[in-house]
Amino acid sequence: MKVVTGVVGNDIHVVANRLIELSLDARGFEVFNLGVNTYLEEFFDAAVETQADVLLISSLNGEAEGWAREVKLLKSKYNTLDDIIMVIGGNLVVGTASADEIVPRYKKYGFDLVFHQVDLNTGLDTLEMYIKQRDVK
Amino acid sequence: MKNKLSIDIGSTYFKVATDSSIEQHFRDFNKDILDDLTHKCATTIEKFKKEDIYICSSANGGLSTLIIGLSNSFSLKYATNIAFNSGINIIETLIHQNIEEYSIPSSLIDVVIIVGGIDSASGLFGDSLYSYLEKLNYSNIVFVGSNTDALTLEKNIKNLVVLPNIIDNKLHIVEEHLKTYLTNLYQLDIEGKEDIKNLYAITANQIYSTPYVVNKTLAFIDANFSVVNPFILIDIGGATTDIHYSKDLVDENIVTRNEYDRLVFKKLGVYKSKESLIFAAQSNEFTYELLTHLKVTENIFEQTSEKATKVLMQLAVFLVLCKMSHYKKAYINLKLNSINSIVLTGGITKVLSDAEVENIISFFYIKILNSKHKPKIVMDYNYDIWTLGIKNLKE
Repeated sequence: MKVVTGVVGNDIHVVANRLIELSLDARGFEVFNLGVNTYLEEFFDAAVETQADVLLISSLNGEAEGWAREVKLLKSKYNTLDDIIMVIGGNLVVGTASADEIVPRYKKYGFDLVFHQVDLNTGLDTLEMYIKQRDVK
Repeated sequence: MKNKLSIDIGSTYFKVATDSSIEQHFRDFNKDILDDLTHKCATTIEKFKKEDIYICSSANGGLSTLIIGLSNSFSLKYATNIAFNSGINIIETLIHQNIEEYSIPSSLIDVVIIVGGIDSASGLFGDSLYSYLEKLNYSNIVFVGSNTDALTLEKNIKNLVVLPNIIDNKLHIVEEHLKTYLTNLYQLDIEGKEDIKNLYAITANQIYSTPYVVNKTLAFIDANFSVVNPFILIDIGGATTDIHYSKDLVDENIVTRNEYDRLVFKKLGVYKSKESLIFAAQSNEFTYELLTHLKVTENIFEQTSEKATKVLMQLAVFLVLCKMSHYKKAYINLKLNSINSIVLTGGITKVLSDAEVENIISFFYIKILNSKHKPKIVMDYNYDIWTLGIKNLKE
């Protein structure tokens, strides 16, 4: 299964990005890591070029929300991305807010799975479960 | 390079250089290049054997390409980069999924490039591509995308050349194969021109393209000039303007082995492309301020005086820098505030003085970049960059 990942926007948290890549790799995913400071369009373009199954966006400085608002509109411009699993994780807010507040917001923006301040392995377990359930359907 | 003769055939002038001297002549467009050359430089040429004469040319103006890719950030970007670096002019870039929305260019395209997908991706291109190509008028077509799709495309597109993918499995660029293909095509085009073919009557050596020769010089440019990296080299000719730039000046996700890249502005020259240069100037909102700064009026565009040529040259420098800056979103934006040297070569060095060039460059930095940055200006008065390049090709 192919995953495109990277850190969105003006965010240079490279260590977290590398850890995500290594963890995905260890779980048998084929990973395309776009690194830090990645624009939204680059994520979708990479998904087209690789025929990725999952797009996993991470953010640590909390600015992801500004970018996430554009996700639905931008994704709708691509003909081949209807089935891609959209995942976002990390620290998804500037300041403080609970996951109960944040998760529904990001789901409205077009994400299937949202992990706000969730441990990486827990998040990836949930992703694997989600993929299994979707395959059964 | 003892006892060798180097000749450069441009669209407007030709230059002939021996070990000790260099002469430049305006071309007579009513004559074949060889006739014109032998008429004006017979005594010089006669002193050299065919084996000792080296010729390069930019007189064909380059090839045209249309690129069809899957995405702006990867396939189109990579193919565009390789095409520019091979001296090819980009006519159009199309996203495959929207191909039906694009109009068909009326002119003949020298080479169509189809690109997209890593090797494991498949079924990326469909009938819409084939019907678009049926309506398109082109001479060559090459596929440099997913090798899983190559066979299907080969079956559906006549005379398709298939080369290794320019996108590797980490989404990085692989330049080599497409670059070699395009460079050879460009070289064949130069050699195929009747005017150029005739030049083999006086040389036993391969005729190269001039931009290729200049690009080869950049790595050892400091042998002849006190140039400080990073630098850009601007070559303003009669038909086109070339910019060669250090890779350090670009913030891009393209990682290549080349230290220097090249961009060609096909319709920006002071003789053959004068009309389009003036048109570009008139469309630039800073031009009138610039003309006032140079103490001339718009009427200068209708004149053919020495003063008018000087102003056109200054405008060309200004417009080229604009095109490379954030002010005009072009193919690539350079970090112009990080440039330590700007090297100028070509006909411009015969027309403008150091002070005139400095004047226009500082105007650009103040007006467009709001900066007092002053890169060192280096003028290649004696065409040393070209002679250095051709000398190294020989060695």
